[in-house]
Amino acid sequence: MNKKKIIGIVAFILLIAALVGAYIAFRPSATAGDKSITIEVVNSSQETTSYDIDTDAEFLRQAMEETDGLEFSGSESEYGMMLSTVNGETADYEKDGAYWSIMVNGEYGNYGIDQQPVADGDVYQLIYTK
Amino acid sequence: MSLTKHKADTIQSRNSSKLTTKDITTVAMMVAIIEACKVVLAGIPNVEVTTFWIILFTLYFKKRILFVIPVFVLIEGAMYGFGLWWIMYLYNWPLLAFITWLFRKMNSAISWSILSGIFGLLYGALCSIPYFIIGTISEGIESGFASGFAWWIAGIPFDLIHGIANFVLMFVLYHPVNNVLTKYNPH
Repeated sequence: MNKKKIIGIVAFILLIAALVGAYIAFRPSATAGDKSITIEVVNSSQETTSYDIDTDAEFLRQAMEETDGLEFSGSESEYGMMLSTVNGETADYEKDGAYWSIMVNGEYGNYGIDQQPVADGDVYQLIYTK
Repeated sequence: MSLTKHKADTIQSRNSSKLTTKDITTVAMMVAIIEACKVVLAGIPNVEVTTFWIILFTLYFKKRILFVIPVFVLIEGAMYGFGLWWIMYLYNWPLLAFITWLFRKMNSAISWSILSGIFGLLYGALCSIPYFIIGTISEGIESGFASGFAWWIAGIPFDLIHGIANFVLMFVLYHPVNNVLTKYNPH
């Protein structure tokens, strides 16, 4: 094996190591323990349903599952569940470009419900967006 | 050589840069192969052979890849909807073809496996660009960086699968497919 190939393999391995390091250092961190959070569902008619809950959940999906009266479903993807139906209302992107967006404390969330960490005092909004 | 024959050869030579029926059929076959493989592997997240085919097709069918990628991207959009991911396809696959062209002199399985693997590892970073732009437009460059960075970090486990799978698939498939393409080399 010539020198260039060895350098290539070393670069590939180093890149894997760098990605693992970046993920460990910056991945979404969840906090354990009891937290008080608010989940708001804003439907297509702009009506808001609010849920105040106390939870030990570390990620939003579990907190949503624990919330009485909040019903949701979706398709499982590599990034976790992609929400399609919340409280009986379905957002069909393929039909009319509608989807459920996730806001965290008033700002666009960067994660799906499986990856969104839950922190004490946070307000999560599930908004029907078109 | 008669004058008429010479003239005919000259015209044929001039027209050689144009797409022939055979070229169009070859492009259609390439797109069909990529799409079929994509559907077959759809159940395994981030394991794909699109990277493999685009590299091999760029090496063997050269400029015809310029027709394959737009057709492939358009079909993907038509099948799955023109979402944000589709914007990523617009630059990711042409970029791969361009990089392949830059390294076209390489001829070993391990070299192409490394290139294919690195492309897989960096795929998430490339895909985070639209999030950076959207964040920047809506709330400034700081928000753009935060948005793109968070999106990239969240997807790193999948980038690792993507990169390693790309490496392995290229390593396993390069020689058999390379042999077939060499045997039926259109040039």
